[in-house]
Amino acid sequence: MTDRHPDGTGLVEPRPLVIRDLLARGRDRLDRLSDGQLLDLLEDAVYHERKRLERVPAPEAELARLDAASRAIVRGERADRQTAAAELVRAWAEEIHGRFDPRVYRFATSILPRGLNALLSSPSRGLLDRTHTPESRIQVEGELAWVRELAAEATVILAPTHVSNMDSPIIGYALFAAGLPPFVYGAGLNLFSNPMIGWWMHRLGAYTVDRTKRAALYKSVLKDYSVRALVTRHHSLFFPGGTRARSGALERHLKKGLLGTGIAAWQEMLAANRPDSEVYVVPCSLSYQLVLEANSLIEDFLAESGKQRFIITDDEFAQPRRIAEFARRVLDLDAAVVVRFGAPLDVLGNPVARDLVDREAQAVDRRRYVTDRDGKVERDEQRDFVYTERLSHALTEAYRRDSYAMTTHVAALAAWRCLVRAHGSSDPFRLLRLPAEGRRIPREAFLAELTRCMERVEVGRVAGQWQADLPGSAEATLAVALDRFGRYHRTRALAVHGSDLVVEDAKLCFYYRNRASHLEGDS
Amino acid sequence: MKVGILGGGRWGQALARLVIAAGGDPLIAYEGKRPPHVLPSTNDPALVPPTCDLLLVATSAAEVRRAICDARPGPGNRVVVAGRGIEPASGRWLTEVVTEASPVLRVGALAGAAPVEEILNGGLCAGVVASPFEEVRVLTTAALHSSRYRVYESADLAGVQLAGALVPVLQATLGMALSLQGAGVGLHALVLTRGLEEATRLARAFGADPLTLLGLAGVGDLVATATTSAAWAAGRDLAAGKRDQGPASLARAVHGLALSKGVELPLIAGLVAVYDGQSPLDVLASLMSRKAQPEHR
Repeated sequence: MTDRHPDGTGLVEPRPLVIRDLLARGRDRLDRLSDGQLLDLLEDAVYHERKRLERVPAPEAELARLDAASRAIVRGERADRQTAAAELVRAWAEEIHGRFDPRVYRFATSILPRGLNALLSSPSRGLLDRTHTPESRIQVEGELAWVRELAAEATVILAPTHVSNMDSPIIGYALFAAGLPPFVYGAGLNLFSNPMIGWWMHRLGAYTVDRTKRAALYKSVLKDYSVRALVTRHHSLFFPGGTRARSGALERHLKKGLLGTGIAAWQEMLAANRPDSEVYVVPCSLSYQLVLEANSLIEDFLAESGKQRFIITDDEFAQPRRIAEFARRVLDLDAAVVVRFGAPLDVLGNPVARDLVDREAQAVDRRRYVTDRDGKVERDEQRDFVYTERLSHALTEAYRRDSYAMTTHVAALAAWRCLVRAHGSSDPFRLLRLPAEGRRIPREAFLAELTRCMERVEVGRVAGQWQADLPGSAEATLAVALDRFGRYHRTRALAVHGSDLVVEDAKLCFYYRNRASHLEGDS
Repeated sequence: MKVGILGGGRWGQALARLVIAAGGDPLIAYEGKRPPHVLPSTNDPALVPPTCDLLLVATSAAEVRRAICDARPGPGNRVVVAGRGIEPASGRWLTEVVTEASPVLRVGALAGAAPVEEILNGGLCAGVVASPFEEVRVLTTAALHSSRYRVYESADLAGVQLAGALVPVLQATLGMALSLQGAGVGLHALVLTRGLEEATRLARAFGADPLTLLGLAGVGDLVATATTSAAWAAGRDLAAGKRDQGPASLARAVHGLALSKGVELPLIAGLVAVYDGQSPLDVLASLMSRKAQPEHR
């Protein structure tokens, strides 16, 4: 059994040991491949890497490895191909683990709350002003005690919705505020583009995920890293949506790659007869009044090239001044962000019992999903993929249940519905092209629609379908929403023009409306 | 391989014979005092799951939940529902009933062109087993595949279950239409092809593969049971004004599913309307006077 490190991170092992272990896992996988499969894997790696390196400058060492792999494909025997593939595994293992510095990690996790407090402090109030604390601005709620209990007895995967690049530091704060230990997580290279936040990123237990690398072999090293982190009892954070939701809508389809490492790690621990083999998955929903990168995200969603432009490197998150402005104008509000920890699930997507005795009984039963009659673990990747799909479905349901309908979302939804009705079309591209006059909404009509939306929200809230904390009347909700829309974005989703309301920036309105689209059973 | 069969009726016995033909070892859980003739059986269903990794459920749709609750299968069992339809009380797919009523996750459905009488008389036929779990498909094939019963595998569980629910409804529609005065082969072809078009439309809405409807579970079953099925006879009775039998609740359940997905099914809606009291001739006249439209939508 591998014990958890006393400070919560077992990645604080000698670096060569981590790399050696990853290489051993990689070699084990390569050994099990047929000659044809090995050739396919290597060809796939060389193809995707050469394509990637057409767009970025290639270091000599990287090119040399690819040349060696190419030679092994053309002229080599099986042993040559295995060696070439293992070299790629070694290089990628070094890169993934590369940024992790345990000494800085310990230091950084201990001062994170103070750092975030500084980020959230309004300069106008001064550092001694205690009326607006991070606790009041970032509302952390949900199953905190339950999750703390599980984190003490087992390994926990935190699976949040992904709205903004602000998610990582905010979740870091939420973990601290909830009294939870630090989590390790895979951070995309683009998160390091902002010098201020990037500093935090690669010191807060982040391992590097390069999403421009498409090779199957790279993905398998990444998964091995994640399995290893879980098996050495690191609580881990994945964004199962993969990337920020460009449209603004709640995630409906999740990526199964990293999510599936939970079931793999659990079985590895079961096979080793570990008494602490359980892995639990905690859904976590983030709800923002306003989103830092809303403009860039919705532009990217709407742009034809949006689908290829998987990684945005030049959005508001890369501009320290915009982050400071966002912190000053948005995070300074009460409940600007709500982080809600949902009811934990097991790695198959089943609910977890609150009571310890029931939980232990569940753990015994759960083993039978992956073991034979004699209790021996039966490896079956196809079966595990279906189990992970089930978990993915349970997570998306939890996101819907735990996300907040906020004033900005509901006001944008009402405005959008008014446009749909007025123009007899639900085609977003048609509505987005409307001239300014076509985006004018009579106040009374808007308030009537907002009232209907709020009633729908309330019915769903009472039925436990989602969360909401809206003002009591449509007038009050509109006033709050207008204030929020005028706070940070350079254009306003909704504004008052004379006696009417006008959707000034239809794209922004569409973005915030999308966050609430599930309230009307819409896609 | 030891295979448990929940349900000792004729279908359960037919499946047991197929298991024996495939070289397996069936164990039937039956109700009542009279065990099935010759075949290994028990009247204590809870004895079956601990000894059989694979369970086949051979009850009517309405009885699946009770059969599962009585047998109490566990997480280690694989359960394949070998019955057609949707649970009448809840409108749920039968594999959903299994996962709701037990901790079983590895489920599948068996359907196809295999009339009970033919199996019991040693006839040759085939079926399709669908499950998202490859191991469930492989186990079921190992349990049933033989020189007298071919088993094909499919990952399209939604499609096979949908086909299983639609076949009796389409049979009743055909039985009714062809029993009306003046009906000929033209009407037969019209109802059959438009029924299949409605089925594929519904399949798309459920994320199922429309081709599944053209396979053993759909067209295969429709052809195999055609005019000999109870549903066809019920349709014929409907044409004569007798509304007290047949797949009324199943037709309503399918129609409800279609409405929930916003899918228009004029033929099946027509069948429901007849069960609700409209005259079959009026319904037919109304269907025939619909405006012209593309063949496939």
